[in-house]
Amino acid sequence: MYEGDADDVFFCHAARLLGSEGATVVGKANCDEFGMGSLNVYSVHGPVVNPWDIQERRSAGGSSGGSAAAVAAGMCDVALGTDTGGSIRLPASYCGVVGLKPSYGMLSRWGVVSFADSLDCVGILGKNVSSTQRRHSQSMTQKIPQQLAPKLVNERTKLVKKKCTPGHLMPTETSPALESEYFPTAITPSVLSPLRHTLRSLQKRGAELVPVSLPQTQFALSAYYVLASAEASSNLARYDGVRYGLHVPPPPGSPTHASTLTYAHSRTRGFGPEVRKRIILGTYALTADAFDNYFLQAQRVRMLIREDFTRVFRVPDLLAATSRPASLALPSGGVAEESAGVHVLMHPSAIRTAPPLSEGEAKEGGESLDAYVQDVLTVPASLAGVPALSVPVPADEGGDGWPVGVSVVGQWGCEEMVLRVGRAIEEVAL
Amino acid sequence: MLARGLLHAPHHKRIGRCLVHSLRTYEHDPRWPGWQVVIGLEVHAQIKSRAKLFSDSWTSELGEPSNTHVTPYDAAFPGTLPHLNPTCVDLGLRTALALDANIQPRSSFDRKHYFYADLPAGYQITQRYAPLARDGKLDLPQSNVSVRIEQIQLEQVDPLSHLYPQPLTLSQQDTAKSTFDPRRRLSSIDLNRAGTGLMEIVSRPDMRNPEEAGEYVRTLQALLRSIGSSDGNMEQGSLRCDVNVSVNRPGEALGTRCEIKNLNSVRFMIVAIICEVHRHLALLSEGRPVPQETRGFNENTGETFKLRSKEDAPDYRYMPDPNLPPLLLDQNYIEQIRQSMPELPHQIRARLQRQGLSQRDTDVLMAVDSGREVGYDGELGQGATAYFDALARDRDPKEVVNWDLRKDAAQVYARPSTSERPDRLAQELSLTAMQDEPDFLGELCKEAITKLPEEAEAVRQGNTKVLNKLVGSVMKSSRGRADAQAVRSKLQEVLLPNASS
Repeated sequence: MYEGDADDVFFCHAARLLGSEGATVVGKANCDEFGMGSLNVYSVHGPVVNPWDIQERRSAGGSSGGSAAAVAAGMCDVALGTDTGGSIRLPASYCGVVGLKPSYGMLSRWGVVSFADSLDCVGILGKNVSSTQRRHSQSMTQKIPQQLAPKLVNERTKLVKKKCTPGHLMPTETSPALESEYFPTAITPSVLSPLRHTLRSLQKRGAELVPVSLPQTQFALSAYYVLASAEASSNLARYDGVRYGLHVPPPPGSPTHASTLTYAHSRTRGFGPEVRKRIILGTYALTADAFDNYFLQAQRVRMLIREDFTRVFRVPDLLAATSRPASLALPSGGVAEESAGVHVLMHPSAIRTAPPLSEGEAKEGGESLDAYVQDVLTVPASLAGVPALSVPVPADEGGDGWPVGVSVVGQWGCEEMVLRVGRAIEEVAL
Repeated sequence: MLARGLLHAPHHKRIGRCLVHSLRTYEHDPRWPGWQVVIGLEVHAQIKSRAKLFSDSWTSELGEPSNTHVTPYDAAFPGTLPHLNPTCVDLGLRTALALDANIQPRSSFDRKHYFYADLPAGYQITQRYAPLARDGKLDLPQSNVSVRIEQIQLEQVDPLSHLYPQPLTLSQQDTAKSTFDPRRRLSSIDLNRAGTGLMEIVSRPDMRNPEEAGEYVRTLQALLRSIGSSDGNMEQGSLRCDVNVSVNRPGEALGTRCEIKNLNSVRFMIVAIICEVHRHLALLSEGRPVPQETRGFNENTGETFKLRSKEDAPDYRYMPDPNLPPLLLDQNYIEQIRQSMPELPHQIRARLQRQGLSQRDTDVLMAVDSGREVGYDGELGQGATAYFDALARDRDPKEVVNWDLRKDAAQVYARPSTSERPDRLAQELSLTAMQDEPDFLGELCKEAITKLPEEAEAVRQGNTKVLNKLVGSVMKSSRGRADAQAVRSKLQEVLLPNASS
């Protein structure tokens, strides 16, 4: 539908910042069309083959599968990706690289083709945590031009620095938590035992493990698909074939008295099956009849999930205090006591190791629920807008030998803490 | 974060319009005896800001070359993001304060979806769920009515062509931005106006006849101009009205309303309302119900026509805009805007009358004042009243206003500089009366006689009717300052010395 011919108009702001720090852009990576997909099979360029073992033809994960594969194959040090519901963390897990989805709004989305604006995050994929961290800070710490700034970022960053003092960031003091909701039945043992092994090692180094419960996360996947599809139907309305992208002229004799009739030809041919499916789902969720039951209900679930996270974290939710005027402040939720709660949450990044491409390709056009379930572990952090990092851990003997990722999730703005835990995981993995 | 606002705000539907029973008592109208007409208005006023509502590109004037005020954001290029223009917010706040409305500490932006050629993103950003301000009022001095304002919201300009699926009439074509060339079978789109900021000001159904609706629009127009938030220019499409009209028997429930879209002159609005009332009465007299409809107005026939019924009303699939955080306004900021508010028309009027000016002089001054240029971004031009204030500083206001106000006020007050001395200025503009200069008058008469020798000779021969022509010539060269009677006797004195003696 839209071939990326807008480069001469403007350039992704995050990439520009990396460039100004001396990075060289070596190429553009494959991804699912409009970031919609979990296996990177919905692409006009064909599927991405996981470079871990090309013979087996497994998926690199999606949607930023190309970015993860490029890093895993050693073609670059780091790659940018976008993460709407797990599109960085899932490929990172499948390809055995580090993937960081920063807090929502932390990296500028200027120049990023929107999928679902309230969830889209620009993030970094890297060989290891320290290279990921370096690039992340480079693409963020630059002074962001006023008109490019994700709203309020400057102000919030200041707040974050004040609250997250290094004192309680030391790995020895860290108390990661295990969540019961993050261990659904769909999860395979091959990803569980490496996580257990990692947690035991961290415990030996002084980390305190606290089991916690985030009861609302079981509804996250459903809420995510309603919200993401609704926003996608809105964001993708601009691809009408008039100003850019594919234009299919209406066949002679066809009715053209309304714009929609003219646009339908371009949109039907231009969008792939998965994108069409989500546009229709999202359009329905926003109709007057369905709005309350779908869109509004999903927003309520999203709020509850956000509150779930805030309840378990030691660091209070900074946005709760800044996003509403004093007169509307929450009675207690805003500034919680800093003593209780955990620093970060840990869970498997994916329910399995990389699936064979044949599974995904076979389902194209008539995908079963399986592909959507891939995201079940990653979407809660997306809905809550909190930072999440996937770090590869050694696969153990019982599994299939393919990479396994462990996710670290922190409070909004606590990238620093999440990355410190990530480095500790790398260290114990050696 | 967007969820919060949406969930806290009630699912807002404009049902108030049908349920509210006004406090106004029934007044007989000879045009439709035994019926009460109920009118509410939605006014869309273009914000007089330099830049558009969510982009850096400048707003355009009519007649500028196509697509010269377009950024990638205005053309809805992927990867662009909106950036709220704070000036538009300030001007919206001025409007809210001028209308005595409650500014909401938290308002938010929503997307209204529909496909149209000059709506590049496929949605228009508006404030459906949480508007900028609620519950204001506008006093109409002539009708002595206070019209309640339901809400004021900020929004992007809507493509006018969307409102007019029917062929456009000439005056609308000036502002429509999508044109079709049938010979080349080509549609051209001009995005100059796309994304310009509007204020939508929604009244309660508090008006009871077309003339009140007319006064409402004129009063609102003058108010917006005086605070610089809009130039209110209806011919150029920067102020448009949608009118809701219903009729009912006094004391009974309100009738079914019809909405007439996109009226761009007060005169046409009054004609449209009268036409619509008669259409309702014709239906009701036949015992047929009035169907709820959205209607257009044909300026050539003076009639309204059906655009769409309630059943085929489009579903706009409103959604909170995830790119725009809620607009939070604290009391200090609102107070700051209040402090810098210009004087409102009714305040100026009251002050002038306190200074001793008559109703009529005040009206003239205010009328001239409202014609002044409205600056961008709330910059206030120096209008007639400002000039009057400067002149009257150390003088008797009544005397100042009598400086041939009625005839030449526009000329005096339209001069931008107030630094010039008024007496010199008055002389320069030949405003001072000439009775003190009899010799000068004689000079003018001699000039006229030289200029018109044949006429002068005719007068000498006794043809006194021709004298008028000479008088006219003198009046013209004196630029109207001479006393016509004095000129006549002077001319007679020169041409007919015997007759006058």
